[in-house]
Amino acid sequence: MPSFLLSVPVLVVGALLAVGLRSNRASAAVALASQACACILVLLGVGRPLFGGAAIELLWPWPPPITTIPFRVDALGAFFLAWSLPLTLLGTLYAIGYLRPSFESGRHGGPHFALLNVVALSFVLIYSVQNALVFLLGWEVAAVAAWLLVIWDYRSQKIRFAGFNYLVSTHVGLFVLVAAFMLLHSKTASMDFAAFSRFLQQPSPARGTIFLLLGTAFALKSAFFPFHTWLPRAHAAAPAHVSALMSGVIHKAGLFGFVRFTLLMGRPEEWMGWTVLVFGAVSAFFGVLYTASQRDLKRLLGYSSTENVGIAALGFGLGYLGWSWGATDLALIGFAGGLLHVLNHAIFKCLLFYAAGAVQRAAHSVDLERLGGLAKRLPRTAALFLIGTLAGSALPPFNTLVSEFIIYTGLLSGQGPSPEANVVLVVAAAGLAFVGAVSALSATRAFGVTFLGQPRDARIHVGAEPPASMLVPMLCHAALAIVCGLAPQLGLGMVRASVGLFPFCTLADLERVLAPLAGLVYASRVLALLLLAAGLLRWWQGAGARRSPTWACGYLAGSPRMQYTGSSFSEHFARIFASCMPALRRERIASEIFPALPGQLATHHADAVEQRIFEVLARGEDAITEVSERIPGHPRFAFAAGLCAVLIIGAVAWGGWR
Amino acid sequence: MTVHCLANVLGLLFLPLLLTGLIQRVKSLWSGRRGPPLLQPTYDVLKLFRKSPVYSATATPLFRIAPWLFLVTACASAAVVPLLGSEPIASFPFDFVWFAYVWALGRVALMLAALDTGSAFEGMGSAREATFSTVLEPVLFLVAAALCSRSGAHSLQLALRFEAAEGSFLLTTCAVLALLVVLQVEASRMPVDDPSTHLELTMVHEVMVLDHCGADLAAIQIGSAIKLFVGSSMIAALLNPWAASGGALALGAQLVLSALVAVFVGTIESLVARLKLRLVPNYIALALGLGALALLLGAWGRVSSG
Repeated sequence: MPSFLLSVPVLVVGALLAVGLRSNRASAAVALASQACACILVLLGVGRPLFGGAAIELLWPWPPPITTIPFRVDALGAFFLAWSLPLTLLGTLYAIGYLRPSFESGRHGGPHFALLNVVALSFVLIYSVQNALVFLLGWEVAAVAAWLLVIWDYRSQKIRFAGFNYLVSTHVGLFVLVAAFMLLHSKTASMDFAAFSRFLQQPSPARGTIFLLLGTAFALKSAFFPFHTWLPRAHAAAPAHVSALMSGVIHKAGLFGFVRFTLLMGRPEEWMGWTVLVFGAVSAFFGVLYTASQRDLKRLLGYSSTENVGIAALGFGLGYLGWSWGATDLALIGFAGGLLHVLNHAIFKCLLFYAAGAVQRAAHSVDLERLGGLAKRLPRTAALFLIGTLAGSALPPFNTLVSEFIIYTGLLSGQGPSPEANVVLVVAAAGLAFVGAVSALSATRAFGVTFLGQPRDARIHVGAEPPASMLVPMLCHAALAIVCGLAPQLGLGMVRASVGLFPFCTLADLERVLAPLAGLVYASRVLALLLLAAGLLRWWQGAGARRSPTWACGYLAGSPRMQYTGSSFSEHFARIFASCMPALRRERIASEIFPALPGQLATHHADAVEQRIFEVLARGEDAITEVSERIPGHPRFAFAAGLCAVLIIGAVAWGGWR
Repeated sequence: MTVHCLANVLGLLFLPLLLTGLIQRVKSLWSGRRGPPLLQPTYDVLKLFRKSPVYSATATPLFRIAPWLFLVTACASAAVVPLLGSEPIASFPFDFVWFAYVWALGRVALMLAALDTGSAFEGMGSAREATFSTVLEPVLFLVAAALCSRSGAHSLQLALRFEAAEGSFLLTTCAVLALLVVLQVEASRMPVDDPSTHLELTMVHEVMVLDHCGADLAAIQIGSAIKLFVGSSMIAALLNPWAASGGALALGAQLVLSALVAVFVGTIESLVARLKLRLVPNYIALALGLGALALLLGAWGRVSSG
């Protein structure tokens, strides 16, 4: 038995013990220990395929209807396993510090830790199994575990609603996935991925349908626009480590599924490439627009996930197009950039959610309109959040710039088969530049309004810095964000073998297309050194300088309430893009010279897609109510409705019997 | 190679503030005054270096670091642009992506320092700068891609090379005009921003740095001057027919052209009023349109020639 599968019993035993043990301390220790064991087992097991060795294969006999479960960890599965489990371990460590106030008030944390173990377990299943039924099982386990983790504070109705919203959305995705698998099963009479692959490799009309179904299911999992509506609610409601793990790790399974089925499907058609590219670009565009207008810090970070999966999909779309055109350089760049971006996003997004959790824990609020000046009370959290937020806007010298740079080199290379195609790719690159600039705006806004200036609301009392169990995971992530920016070989080394799985790829080609990276890395290192030198010098020099109140043109009657808030910072921007980002505005302007009532203004940026969904649902419900209210009143209607029902049931039954 | 490198470094050291002085002189001449000497901005900066700093009690250490980060990013971005002659200090494929993101980093540093003071004025400047930059960023990529499609190369140095081919005249014109708008926005010149006013409500860049003083303010002024110099060098390189020949002729032509760009910027500044803030994004969108046109011309030009 390969060592990575040994992690399954370890995790199961850890979960059972965590539930069974009475004390929170013991549960946490058991969960941590079992996950650490599982991490070591998995990392030992997947090292070989991860760095280009042969895949691990195993057939597990099982009673019908499955008969045998094929396991296969190739480079792609190994890549996802290699970071998913360690990051979950860090999240579990963070949970100990984050949930301590709840533990102190008598809450039992055992099930929560057990669920974190179950999440790790679902990764082992999803990333290694080659059978659709078992894949679905892992998928469902991850979804339900994530739902239960989200509703940790289940006493609040708002949080229960957010959890329910997530549960429904993720199951809509599951239905679509089941539909795709049923279609595949009807064509192949098998549930094994190998059989799927043999069918999908052949051109057939069903291939496009299956691609679209799978794409929709995976897009729902990874919260692409417009399937993202569950995401901001769930991320705002969940505890910080759960948000971090969902955004950074759990929902990367959608992108994994996408790349896995790309490999099974073989050479795609051109329209598929354009679909993925446009879908990714639209997702990145709308995701980043919404980050600019949120007032809840965790909702903001949630939308940023939609943006970043969009950027990764932009890379994958480029890969699809390159493959279908036979331009293998483009394809290599696209898939390498996309996969690396998945990893980079996991690194910085977890950091941001953890830091937001530290803010939540200290100030009991993540409302941008009320916070301010936290950098003085929480200097460590502020520094870590700053690193995360700079990395998140792909600024040098951090890690995300590397993956975005790779995607840019593909989009701007001019290797498309026609000038029209090249123009569209360049426009996509300009779109990516726009996304980068807006995320810089959001980063400035999120960090500047929360941590700089003065506290905006006197009612908010800021507590202490987070304990070590929360700081250590944050420090690990921050270090990774810096190291992977200055030495991208680290991330690329993990991605390389996965890209090598594509049939057109040779490692020499991959080295050649990634060659421009050398210049970027060198430049980033020099820049980092200069920035560090300038910063440290000034830090040291200016420490004893004279202090006075903020000058601001000599206006000395300023108050903290007059500072720019989150919504005033993005007001001009939101007005430019008002058509994509409708604002709900309630205002009462004081009109007379001596106004009797004070003026008021409230603005709120709701999610346009979600609003629309609720509108349509409400309209449908109204229509049904209207019809159903008539039926009992009029015997004729009741009779007609009954007749219709009998006819439909009869037709269906007859069709099924035949 | 080393000669080019040395020329660039010397240019970076001495020319940016002279260029700012030149613009001031042009503005004075247009308004019928003799104006300050060309070296006045340099004198101002030297004076600022001698002053001791005062920091806001609200501010964190970020506030005193940010101006120097801005200066470093400005210098770093200048390294990939041919400032004097045809060769930059460093050049690598797709360095314009790095260039754009390094500028963005400097901008973010200043915007954060502005928010750090807790003043409404500076928050306002910060918000405006952030908003305008979102529309501006794509322009740079469209222009760079169009220029790359012209030569088939992918570094800023090769993309900015003068090209006399018949089809490339329109493309170069569009690119130059778009870059001019980029220059106006990034170096905070009219009609986007008014660098000489003292009415806070109308300013963008200046209102953001209200609270900096002493050496920090000097760093910001040098950084802004370097950005102006980098922008005008990019335009000058595109228009310099002798760039490929190398040597003194290339260098002299580049210098004269940079000075001409500065004169042009100063002239516009003297003749045109500042746009309403609401209209600035539209003005930048104009550059976006020019960039898109250049891109189409680049794609179309390659078809007709190949």
